[in-house]
Amino acid sequence: MTLGEVFRFEVEYRLRQPSTWVYALVLFGIPFLMMHAINGSSQYLNAPVMVANASALLGGIAMLVTAGIFGDAAARDVQSRMHALFYTSPLREAHYLGGRFLGGLAVNAALLLGVPLGLFLASVMPYMAAGKFGPVQPAAYAQAYLLLLLPNLVVIGAFMFAAAALTRQSLATYPGGITLYLLGAIAGRLTNGVANQRLSALADPFGARAVALATRYWTPAESNARLIGWPDALLWNRALWLVVAAGAFALLVARFRFAHPNGAARRRGWRRRRLVDTAPERIVPIASMDVPDSGRSFTTAGRVRQTLAVAAHEWREIAATRAFLVILAGALVFAFAYGWDVGSEIFGTSTWPVTHLIAGTVLSGALAPVMALLIAILAGELVWRERDMGMGDIAAVAPVPNGVALLGRFLALAAMLVTLQAVLMGAGVLLQALLGYHRYELGVYVKLLFGIKLVDYLLLGALAMAVHVVVNQKYLGHLVVVLYFASTVASELIGLRHHLLVYGSDPGWVWSDLNGLAPFLAGFVWFKLYWAAWALLLAVVASLFWVRGREGGLRARLSLAGERLRGPARVAAATAITLIVTLGGFVFYNTNVLNDYSDPDDVAARAAECERRYKRFEDAPRPSLAAARMRVELYPAQRAAEILGTFRLVNRTTRAIDSLHVLPSPDVETRALRFDRAARLVVDDGVLHYRIYALDRPLAPGDSLSMSFQVVSRPRGFRNAGAPTEVTPNGAYIDRRWLPALGYRAGRELVDERARHEHGLPPRPLPPTAGDVEAREAGPGARGVELVDVETVIGTDARQIAITSGTLVREWREKGRRYFQYRTGAPVRYGGAIVSAEYAVREASWNGVRLRVFYHPSHDVNVGRMIRSMQASLAYYSRHFGPYQYRELSIVEFPRYAAFARAHPHMITFSEGSAFLTRVDSGDVDRPFFVVAHETAHQWWGGQVIPAEAAGAPLVSEMLAQYSSMMVFETAYGREMARRFYDYNLDEYLRGRSVYTNREVPLLDVTNQKYLYYFKGAVAMYTLRERLGADAVNGALRRFREKFAGPAAPPPTSRALYAELQAATPDSLRPLLSDLFEHVTLWNVRADSARADPIGGGAYRVTLFVDASKARADSIGNQTPVAMNDLVEVGVFAGPPRGGSPGETLYLRQHRIRAGKQTIVLTVPRLPTRAGIDPYRTLIERERDDNVAEIGGGTRRDARQDDP
Amino acid sequence: MHLAIRGVSKTYTNGVRALRDVTLDIPRGMYGLLGPNGAGKSTLMRTIATLQEPDTGSITLGDIDVVREKDRVRRTLGYLPQEFGVYPGASAERLLNHFAVLEGFTDRAERRRVVEALLRQTNLWDVRRERLGGYSGGMRQRFGIAVALLGGPSLIIVDEPTAGLDPAERVRFLNLLSEIGEQAVVILSTHIVEDVAELCSRMAIIDKGEIQLEAEPLAAIAALRGRVWRRFVAKAELPEVERSHRVICTRLQSGRTLVHVYAESLPGPDFEPAEPGLEDVYFSVMAGHQGARAVAAPLEVAS
Repeated sequence: MTLGEVFRFEVEYRLRQPSTWVYALVLFGIPFLMMHAINGSSQYLNAPVMVANASALLGGIAMLVTAGIFGDAAARDVQSRMHALFYTSPLREAHYLGGRFLGGLAVNAALLLGVPLGLFLASVMPYMAAGKFGPVQPAAYAQAYLLLLLPNLVVIGAFMFAAAALTRQSLATYPGGITLYLLGAIAGRLTNGVANQRLSALADPFGARAVALATRYWTPAESNARLIGWPDALLWNRALWLVVAAGAFALLVARFRFAHPNGAARRRGWRRRRLVDTAPERIVPIASMDVPDSGRSFTTAGRVRQTLAVAAHEWREIAATRAFLVILAGALVFAFAYGWDVGSEIFGTSTWPVTHLIAGTVLSGALAPVMALLIAILAGELVWRERDMGMGDIAAVAPVPNGVALLGRFLALAAMLVTLQAVLMGAGVLLQALLGYHRYELGVYVKLLFGIKLVDYLLLGALAMAVHVVVNQKYLGHLVVVLYFASTVASELIGLRHHLLVYGSDPGWVWSDLNGLAPFLAGFVWFKLYWAAWALLLAVVASLFWVRGREGGLRARLSLAGERLRGPARVAAATAITLIVTLGGFVFYNTNVLNDYSDPDDVAARAAECERRYKRFEDAPRPSLAAARMRVELYPAQRAAEILGTFRLVNRTTRAIDSLHVLPSPDVETRALRFDRAARLVVDDGVLHYRIYALDRPLAPGDSLSMSFQVVSRPRGFRNAGAPTEVTPNGAYIDRRWLPALGYRAGRELVDERARHEHGLPPRPLPPTAGDVEAREAGPGARGVELVDVETVIGTDARQIAITSGTLVREWREKGRRYFQYRTGAPVRYGGAIVSAEYAVREASWNGVRLRVFYHPSHDVNVGRMIRSMQASLAYYSRHFGPYQYRELSIVEFPRYAAFARAHPHMITFSEGSAFLTRVDSGDVDRPFFVVAHETAHQWWGGQVIPAEAAGAPLVSEMLAQYSSMMVFETAYGREMARRFYDYNLDEYLRGRSVYTNREVPLLDVTNQKYLYYFKGAVAMYTLRERLGADAVNGALRRFREKFAGPAAPPPTSRALYAELQAATPDSLRPLLSDLFEHVTLWNVRADSARADPIGGGAYRVTLFVDASKARADSIGNQTPVAMNDLVEVGVFAGPPRGGSPGETLYLRQHRIRAGKQTIVLTVPRLPTRAGIDPYRTLIERERDDNVAEIGGGTRRDARQDDP
Repeated sequence: MHLAIRGVSKTYTNGVRALRDVTLDIPRGMYGLLGPNGAGKSTLMRTIATLQEPDTGSITLGDIDVVREKDRVRRTLGYLPQEFGVYPGASAERLLNHFAVLEGFTDRAERRRVVEALLRQTNLWDVRRERLGGYSGGMRQRFGIAVALLGGPSLIIVDEPTAGLDPAERVRFLNLLSEIGEQAVVILSTHIVEDVAELCSRMAIIDKGEIQLEAEPLAAIAALRGRVWRRFVAKAELPEVERSHRVICTRLQSGRTLVHVYAESLPGPDFEPAEPGLEDVYFSVMAGHQGARAVAAPLEVAS
């Protein structure tokens, strides 16, 4: 009864608040507009998965509304001093709290309906582009609301309400919410890893991980159509967290007492000393009524003192409080939760917590949203505290200019942010220490936390204060600031790409241990100066609208602001605008005049135009590169390079070549392009970078000519996004892309089908199939493979070492620079990679092959592993596949502006972000070892055997490298590790299928789908190895290499490889081979139940009920069931599961399994504990956790099974 | 120093007309502003204190235009709002020190002297190190006046300062105010008639946004002398009396109803002359017998 009345009152009260309606507008408006803003999704925007994800995201933003509503519901009475009336009424605490909570919940739940409604209405707007939205599925919205938004609201609401009610502080909702978030984050950390994804899904308070788990392997076709449904993991998750929320609420009811907030409930004797008023009845005579009023000063110096005093005062009031300590503690826990396994990599390994990862990725990147929220809250408190405390009027009449009041507060905010950053820095060091990493680079912390992030935070702080002043409603202010922050993060999505348009933004930066921030500094500084000018303008606006007194109306505030725009305010505004224009102009000059600023759309339009105009020359005969002589001058300090090159070009075709198509790189300046025979420039397309030279005397077949050129790269000013990183003060990495190319490049074409359609291009033709290529003429160069003799002279800084493919012939110093001359012994595949930096070098050898690792001196942890891996790899490959073709092998590190590792002739370039800093503890997958083995394998696959340019080519290079490295890996680390590795690969493959643009094809036709040639390739080869044995597979590969290695051999296609594999496969396994390579095949096997009956002599008859099916999938994952008649392993086990095995093996044999339910009966010598089909999970299955069943006792049968 | 209010009007956005064409001249000394709740007292006070903008009209303090030159006024203004809070965790000395800086006492030694003088003045010296959160209502009010007195203001505005104070506190507070009144324009807004009667040399009565009467309290009382009559009536008779006489007020005294009526001469045999008080002035103005509303019987008011 009373509960109902409290509830009704709360609802009515809430509905009368203007803020409620603003919230409603926001919660409807954001999703509605978001659907308009997002473009270029390959998935239908109203696909159930998209609706669920959007709801989860928006639900996160809606938590700010929840904080406003529940904070008010819980603490309003105390703040408006109404509590005494409630506390003394006969109302029970539980009813009071329950009514308030449910009232807030009801209103908030209704407001939250705006999210699905906004998403839905936007999707049915008639003007929306066709193809953006799929068929309407109302159930998708209902599920998103019922499974995500509503339960999340209850959970987060309970925590926020409890925190606010217990502390009687509406602002305590934020720590309450953060507590919940942290619980989730920590639980998530504790349960990370492939093995316990279910637990991890359960631990996420917001259900997002459970949705991700349920949909992780969905193919594009499924994602577009399939409803999330009611997955078990999600339902359990919801149930668990609702119980937790109920627990939090119960705790609140148990702890909450109707008692005066400062009363007996909180006994702090030392502070609660009773005050005795010592004032006499009469007061002192008038004579002593002498209050001095001299010594006041309103000079500039006085204003400065006042500003500092305001700052100090606000600091004491806000920062020197317990609440701020709680915030600090929260930020720390956050940092720890995120930082604990920072730098997670593939295969469950992670990077050492090096300083730039902790300071950059964790404390700057991951923490940025938290800091934004914090800044919003702190700015709100600074703006509101005086008024909240009831001192607004008294303070307002103090003769202090608005500027002093504002600047003082801003300084206080700055001091808080500095403190926060300092504490975070301490936390970072502590975190590193706890993780066992002891190279604390305080300088890096200072640069990143104070040099970069503090600037960002201060800019955001200035904005936040201005917003709070202008909006003049605290919770709305928080919402506006956070929304603003979110929109800057997503500014690219809404088409704001120029950083002159997004407040506080910059071209971006990447820390590298080799370079620090060097390449990015200039752009960063100028952009920030420009935004600082904006911040000044915001400050002026804030001072104009600074609330002083009781005028809350918009019109009154506007006219007051107009009145205040005089004197200093006018000067400041004029200064700010002048600075904005000047700095903005300078930035624009740099980004758009000195550098080429192009919208992605312009770039795409240019690519389209290039294709339209020049694709017809694709098949024009072109000469092949036969030799290159390069002279490369690197000027690291100026980040500049000059290349003088001469190419010898040979006509290896059967026709005469009368014109040369030369494509200079768009990234550099190419000049002095000359030929050693007369040629006329007939087309010079400077925009599309395409030149055609007509040769006066055609190049006859077998004839050659030479082309010389000069390439210059010199950074000019700074760019809108990023910075050129090819040559940096310490770490240059340039390759062939800078050099002029010969003939039309299909690689520069637009790939994205939607973009092609928009720009009026036909769908991209498929690359030639293996069959097409094989039908063509044979001979060197005919299948797109060039082998080149290279001689390179590189000049670089005196302290640096420059490396490229080839043997070092000579090294010398000249004019304070260091020169290296390299020459290849035999023609190689020419990638033009040149690397230069200040290196430490470690040397080793294997069978007379010189092994070296060139690395940044502090990146030495894994160098030993890398050398071991090179040795083990060279040993395994040369024994099983054939001899190694060079006398040396080097690994060379380059800065982490790119993250790959790449094989070149006897040189592997390795990003500092790839495996140099991977942490390998005992039991971990040794990723550095594996990656080096993979790249070393490329010396064979890709180096010796060079695939023809056709569909399936990556099978020959990447899949075989993956397989080879797996074998080395297994040899070094054992079967168990290899099996784990297989699991990771299968998981990656199945995830890769879910990306729309990844269009799945059978392995044999793979082109650019990484997830296929790496991960499915590894899975297929591992399965094959399991079934055929290593000798058979390796033998096939050796024969394959012998046939196709060497400059004289024809480059092979995937078919050629497949033929070798087929030859090694017995007839019984040919169907499997075909399933793996010729089709996209998915199996599904399940052990429904199993029972064991004793048959005497200690033996048991095991009856296993299984279900199996097999399907083929098309490119977007539509499945068609096919007949199954495959050999599949069936196993029976005893004892507890160990490692990757279900137990001690009693029986393991292949059975012929057809589609459908079936029963398998077999005999084992001992009492088994579990039995299953494909127990080691070697089939490609999406649900692999149901392959093994516990043995049921004697006669008991599982209810699910139906006995055939 | 002299505060001149000319034709000030204010209408809130919700349509409430809080002030209508208010014109007042307020000289140095204590000036009482009497009126019922919602009469517009606080609006007028806040407008004078630069916290609200008048729609029309002007306010000048000496040569300062209060509406336009807010910063100048604020340097010489002390304001004690009707309701205010304090930072509960701060000490009186700490917070007063802060406001002293804001008031322009940027020199440390000077500031210390001012803070000490004011804390002694308001009898808070002994408890200056205590948290303001533990202060009683009277102490908090005295702290407020200490803040208002910073910088020796020539205009002091105190809005209903005695509400909620116990009798001793009230006396103490009023004494403090009257001493301040020696040096500055002090506007005291209140709905407690005695406050004005005891302290103010001049007063105005405001109701529904309009000034009903501006007078010296003693003169106003004197002007009423001989026109107020009293009589005890039984409860049943009251409606009849109210119909036939201009009743100023009725109140219960020792269980019987005492009626004060306004009349130029003895209104009836049962009445006896009463010695008028400021309360009679107030109520007769509010009842419309006197002041701006008493069109029928304009009253001479000494100026």
